[in-house]
Amino acid sequence: MLALLAVVLPLLALLIYVALRSGPFASIPVTVTTAESRSIAPSLFGIGTVEARYTYRIGPTVAGRIKRVEVQVGDRVEAGQLLGEMDPVDLDDRIASQDAAVKRAESVVLAAGAQVREASARKSYAENQASRYEQLLHARSVSEEAVEGKRQERQVTEAGFAAARANLDAARQELARVRSDREGLIQQRANLRLIAPVRGLVAARNADPGTTVVAGQSVVEVIDPASLWINVRFDQLRVSGLRAGLPVQIVLRSQEGIRFAGRVLRLEPIADAVTEETMAKVTFDALPERLPPVGELAEVTVAMSALPATPVVPNASVQRVDGRLGVWLIVEDKLRFAPINLGATDLDGRVQILDGLKADERVVVYSQRALGPRSRVKVVERLEGVSP
Amino acid sequence: MAGKGIRIEGLRKRYGKGDTALDALKGVDMQVAPGEVVGLIGPSGSGKSTLLKCLGAVIEPTAGRMTLGEEVIYDNGWKMPDLRALRRDRIGFVFQAPYLIPFLDVTDNVALLPMLAGRANAESRKRALSLLEALDVAHRAKAMPSQLSGGEQQRVSIARALVNRPPVILADEPTAPLDSERALAVIRILNQMALQYETAIIVVTHDEKIIPTFKRIYHIRDGKTQEEAGEGRAFE
Amino acid sequence: MISLAGRDILHSWGKFVFTGVGLGLLIGVTLTMAGVYRGMVDDAKVLLDNSGADLWVVQQDTLGPYAEPSSLYDDVYRTILGMPGVDRAANVTYLTMQVRQGERDVRAMVVGVVPGGPGEPGQPGYLIAGRQITRGHYEAVADIATGFKLGERIQIRRNHYAVVGLTRRMVSSGGDPMVFIPLKDAQEAQFLKDNDAIAQQRRRTASNPAFNRPGTPGLLDAVLASQSVNPYINAVLVQVKPGFIPEEVAEPIRRWKRLQVYTRAQMEEILIGKLISTAAKQIGMFLVILAIVSAAIVAFIIYTLTLGKIREIAVLKLIGTRNRTIAWMIMQQALGLGLIGFVVGKISATFWAPIFPKYVLLEPGDALLGFAGVQVICALASVLAIRAALKVDPAEAIGG
Repeated sequence: MLALLAVVLPLLALLIYVALRSGPFASIPVTVTTAESRSIAPSLFGIGTVEARYTYRIGPTVAGRIKRVEVQVGDRVEAGQLLGEMDPVDLDDRIASQDAAVKRAESVVLAAGAQVREASARKSYAENQASRYEQLLHARSVSEEAVEGKRQERQVTEAGFAAARANLDAARQELARVRSDREGLIQQRANLRLIAPVRGLVAARNADPGTTVVAGQSVVEVIDPASLWINVRFDQLRVSGLRAGLPVQIVLRSQEGIRFAGRVLRLEPIADAVTEETMAKVTFDALPERLPPVGELAEVTVAMSALPATPVVPNASVQRVDGRLGVWLIVEDKLRFAPINLGATDLDGRVQILDGLKADERVVVYSQRALGPRSRVKVVERLEGVSP
Repeated sequence: MAGKGIRIEGLRKRYGKGDTALDALKGVDMQVAPGEVVGLIGPSGSGKSTLLKCLGAVIEPTAGRMTLGEEVIYDNGWKMPDLRALRRDRIGFVFQAPYLIPFLDVTDNVALLPMLAGRANAESRKRALSLLEALDVAHRAKAMPSQLSGGEQQRVSIARALVNRPPVILADEPTAPLDSERALAVIRILNQMALQYETAIIVVTHDEKIIPTFKRIYHIRDGKTQEEAGEGRAFE
Repeated sequence: MISLAGRDILHSWGKFVFTGVGLGLLIGVTLTMAGVYRGMVDDAKVLLDNSGADLWVVQQDTLGPYAEPSSLYDDVYRTILGMPGVDRAANVTYLTMQVRQGERDVRAMVVGVVPGGPGEPGQPGYLIAGRQITRGHYEAVADIATGFKLGERIQIRRNHYAVVGLTRRMVSSGGDPMVFIPLKDAQEAQFLKDNDAIAQQRRRTASNPAFNRPGTPGLLDAVLASQSVNPYINAVLVQVKPGFIPEEVAEPIRRWKRLQVYTRAQMEEILIGKLISTAAKQIGMFLVILAIVSAAIVAFIIYTLTLGKIREIAVLKLIGTRNRTIAWMIMQQALGLGLIGFVVGKISATFWAPIFPKYVLLEPGDALLGFAGVQVICALASVLAIRAALKVDPAEAIGG
């Protein structure tokens, strides 16, 4: 008989336990917390890439072939340093030919000058002759014809002089022209030299000697490593309060344990409409010892100023019931839903309650099942299955 | 109610019909007075078990007359509509094996019959206990049948047969598995009980050990009985 | 009158209870099977409940986003926000994939949600630990069925996420646990493959002369950049302003925006009617067979138990027990067996149901139905045994 009871009673007990624990009579375990009034400091979180403030992409202005590249990636260069040179092809020869043309033009100018002197001498003589003959005409020593003839000579030599003068001008212009052409060719030649515009670090070497490149293609990229900043994207939903000057913490992907201090430099006036992100530039307060490579991802957290104290609850407490946001309150061991208005949140999940809740009210945080207005609840320390 | 014992006249039993009919009993006469213990002896196939079944109101005879106590229970047709009640109240059975209900204790095995008859549990158990005392097994009242020896079980089954004070008890080979000492003990008890409770007892047997104890014996052969005086030897 | 059935049970209670336990395990299996079916349906319902949405906006002519793939541009939600009656609209992506943690892989449905704040459609409704996602990248809320714990780092495709919150019962219709990550990360995960594949793709694009023209220096970079951007999402979840009927809000969107919109009722029909219907039928058939087999076994057990008592029954009949009493004894034992079996079955089903990889929902209604069914089957089975018992000839007790 005893043995029978030993079997039947536990069975009955188990049945009752099962009915109470898992059936409709079961109460739902929940954890609660007390809403406390405190001030939270919201932070913004964004992902950015490390970029150099200025990147100089140096390349030719005309298509051509690269003759030499003097630097490697990682070299430090000074302003004005020669980085490389394009193949001049026939440009040197053209310059030489233009030199010869200049010399020739100079000679032509000399010759034209001599011609002008010659024409000038003739003109002077002809003028003197003409005036003498005109005096003689008054004395009736010579014929009209002879005077006419001298007059005509005078005209001829005047014309000749003018022509010689014009010729000299032309020769001079021609000299100027070929000189300018030569200057131009020299400039072009200079252009084939790739010069570093500033002091910096060679970040990329995009083409090797012998490669043909088009105008505008960059051969060498130079950055100023001291000018590294981070281009950060923030989700537009929460950027209110973001402004230049706010302190930030930067975590580089390659150096995950270390937080670097920094500052928001500026907000970009143009946001990304497609991805709905606002962009900002963030600088390091002190550059990391090991410079991060350009393009490395960085996580940026902007600390905004603390807001005035309000009742604050964990964001896990906020639930949506029948289309309204609110929290479940424990009032005298019974469940009640209180609609609320939310304020700002911080990155640890604390949410400001602007309206609908007072401090010191007990708020449900976690529940084993979805709660409804008629649910029976049981307050526990910790839900089962969740390790501390 | 012990009355005038049992009396049978011209009992016939036919199995089947027509050409294949078999007459197991062809006119049996028997009479046993209250307090008497008679033997019923016959070879197998003689109609012995058929007769027992008719006596036990288990099967219906074809013709004849049966009187139990004061009442005629069969006269070419059952006179009692409820055979089962008849068996329960007016006929006691003792079998070859005790056939106790294994899941009832000794007292309840015996008390079951009065309970089936409608008596209250307490009273039924009191009756059962008095019979168990009479049979000297009262000390085993709370035990389960499996805990009793063969002899004790047999005595309990006899108590069960007696508990409703039936006018007749049918005992079918009650001593077959027993040795002579125990067999004689059983017969002794039966004789005691028959006198004490004024019951007629018919013992079907072929056990040589106990046949000499009967004062009267019925031989049955080919469906007919013949009365014979027995030795009536006193028990050793 | 004493209870013959009770006495018999008490006397051989060990055998009885043992038989009851065996029967109970069989019943437990049947109850569990019913629970598996209900669990499947509940998975579908829970998926719809957990999305926090009243309307699902998906690609036109698809049954998405759960039953069929659906693709929308991620700026579609802006136009939907402007429709009358729309309270909130949020993009969401779904992708079932392997999520790695340490050495192991877990199959999960990765849900990309807009980290807008609590109550946003798509976000999990309630947590059991931790907090909701606050950062726009690299945080995750995982369902406890994944086995992840708070603070662990998990890997989805190429990025690592910190588990900041845990949920319960957030599963896909297939029963895979959900992991919630910010939408942009999910879009990237849905689209960007691992590093090797990306390098391959870049190589292939670079070797395509259409994209790699020497005369246009920026072209290749622009093409590669466009290839690593994913402007698609799977659905827009819409919450309707209180006071508006969802169907009324859905109809204008369907007509004017050329999108397909489903209300909660329609989604349920799709999920339960189409997505899980085959599996449900499968289980339903098995349940029927199991029930029939259980009934047969119960009948067999009771019949055998009765036959084992045939001699006692003959004796009882001979000494004058009513047929009715004997029948009632057998039926009582059958019903008692059924009761023990049901109790054992219900208890064992309750205890082993949580071990199943997918959700098993044991409804009290099913339990009651099961109880009634078991008792009916036991009663019917006992009828067979009773017939056999009543046919016994009391004369059997009297030897030949």
